Amino acid sequence: MSELNESHHAQHWTNPLLVALALLAWLATVAVFITHPLAKLPLYFLSAYLVLDATSMLFLLLINTVFLGISVYMMSRERTSPVLARDRRLRSGLTLLFMVVMNLGVLSNHLIVLWALIEFTTLCAAPLVARGDSIAPKRVAWRYLLYSSMSLGITFLGFMCLTQSAHLRGLEINFALDQLSFALTPANDPWQRLGLAFMLFGLGGKLGLAPLYGWLPETYEAAPTSTSALLAAVQFNISVVAVFRVLQVFHGFDAGFVSQELLVMGYLSLILAAIQVMAARNYKRLIAYACVSSSGVIAIGLSVGKAAAYGVVLYIVSNAFVKSLLFLTAGRLRAVYGTNDVAPLNGVIRVLPFSGLLFTVGIFALLGFPPFASFLAEMYILSGIVQVGNLMAFTLMCSMLTIIFVATGRTVFPMLWGASTVERPRFTESLLTTIPKLGFVGILIMLGTYQPERISHLLIAVAESIGGR
Amino acid sequence: MMTLSLLLCLIATVIPVFFGKIGVAPLWLSLQALGLGWITLHHHDEVSVHALLAGVEVLLVRAWLVPSMLRRLLANQAAARMDLMPSNLFTWGIAVSLIILAFKFGEGARLDVRALTLGVMAATVMIALLILATNLEPTAQLVGLLFMENAMALFESLMPEPWPLPVHAAVSGVYVITVWMGTLLQRQPTETLENLALTAKEKHE
Repeated sequence: MSELNESHHAQHWTNPLLVALALLAWLATVAVFITHPLAKLPLYFLSAYLVLDATSMLFLLLINTVFLGISVYMMSRERTSPVLARDRRLRSGLTLLFMVVMNLGVLSNHLIVLWALIEFTTLCAAPLVARGDSIAPKRVAWRYLLYSSMSLGITFLGFMCLTQSAHLRGLEINFALDQLSFALTPANDPWQRLGLAFMLFGLGGKLGLAPLYGWLPETYEAAPTSTSALLAAVQFNISVVAVFRVLQVFHGFDAGFVSQELLVMGYLSLILAAIQVMAARNYKRLIAYACVSSSGVIAIGLSVGKAAAYGVVLYIVSNAFVKSLLFLTAGRLRAVYGTNDVAPLNGVIRVLPFSGLLFTVGIFALLGFPPFASFLAEMYILSGIVQVGNLMAFTLMCSMLTIIFVATGRTVFPMLWGASTVERPRFTESLLTTIPKLGFVGILIMLGTYQPERISHLLIAVAESIGGR
Repeated sequence: MMTLSLLLCLIATVIPVFFGKIGVAPLWLSLQALGLGWITLHHHDEVSVHALLAGVEVLLVRAWLVPSMLRRLLANQAAARMDLMPSNLFTWGIAVSLIILAFKFGEGARLDVRALTLGVMAATVMIALLILATNLEPTAQLVGLLFMENAMALFESLMPEPWPLPVHAAVSGVYVITVWMGTLLQRQPTETLENLALTAKEKHE
């Protein structure tokens, strides 16, 4: 009885507190963004273990904005689902810890510290994944942890190879981001290349790039939807930050090698995602495979660099909002229908008009339709690829995106507008549940049509830091 | 002595893969870690506080704490009686080829101990990947992951200076929490299902 009371008591403050803290973090980030012009950056803190530069500023803004939306969604969903009250404190605590570590990771100025923080985010997220309602959620959470540890283990081997390379050349190596390049050589050094290859391969696994992408679809499907959104739209970005940091450090070193490795992983991911999307009959899994294809587009864009870099940065920002919108809306569909399969949801727009409409908007944004930012971003990336003359990448990306577009439409559009097999009453949807999703749609349209000057400058600064022009 | 420690690491990696059950893996991991601890303590000519702390950490965490956690996990599991890697000529052939390849990789370094260390490290990584590729049993996968972690620790011994202590502590902390979380996620699968005996509609978000 006392446990019940305690649980009931907890529901009054745990999630509102999470929302309040998310709002505070977001306000603080926006305040820092407004008060610190890009010209005054970078700023170093905590014995230079943390840095505030254009990259960390952009990703702080991004993850805290997305998290604010996810926390409001969590509060609204848990209000209407009393069973979720049983582990509310643990879930909120882990989510909060996850976000604290994420923020520190984005600010990190040391590759090994960043590496450790990425693993800590995985350790915070694994118990959240284990709270899903699939057949064996703990097993899925274990595989998520295993893949993550393996990917990061490979990344760590990369650090060691770099150390070995520096040692054999009689140099000391310091993994601080502003010091590491002093230990690199422009010459063709096998240890350095091996280190770089391991780092990109390992971090590619965390991004869901083939061949180490196996954890992503099953984890995103099995995890509770708010956790899937956290992983896809928040944790994904700390891995992007790590890849950006590697590219920033290696700017001018082994550029061709980096480009080739990213290109191969990007091609593989797009091809595999296209095949899997064609076979998908489960809307959460379909979104997950779309995430793999997005990672492929990002990898191809990064491999091209130069003119495509701005498009890549915009694509990453827009993708965070698209993924959050889709996963949070999928959570609402799952709440009403109790399944992830597409078939029983035929005609969902008549039962859940608002969620159905938001899902449609999310799918259009995912597929790169105007007026969303993803359209603009894909155009920039494709134009960048054409400018460098890589017609193979251009053709492959266009073909795979077309296949994904057709396959997604074939699966999702009957689900949205098709004739339903079972008559269901129309559900009312609370305003609180829809506010964050509407916010995400607003941001996506804003980024695709009109970008405030400060935001645009920030995106350009990040693009330039990874070799864009 | 360094060579003997490396050979101990190699034997503790190779034997369980060909002849070992999952239940005996904690013992082999402890043996690997004992070799590692010796290497860490005697890596430099002078014993510094830093090297001493790093060595003690290897012995405490890798030779005692983590194998104990694994032993507790395996206590009542049927998986403990399973082979760490499927015992057939095909997997044995692949394992032998990988070990030979690993030592070819180590030949690149000029000094003998260095080449041997690289060879043992690469062989351990290859064996870890082979275990992960051939065994779907989560406990075997955990053992594979621990082999990989020990290989990384062995690579660390090649460095001119050990990692700074805060970095070492962070890496070690991540390692212990990962293993703890891994054992937690693999424990009592039936209880999980009971805990989650809720209707899909109630439970999901």
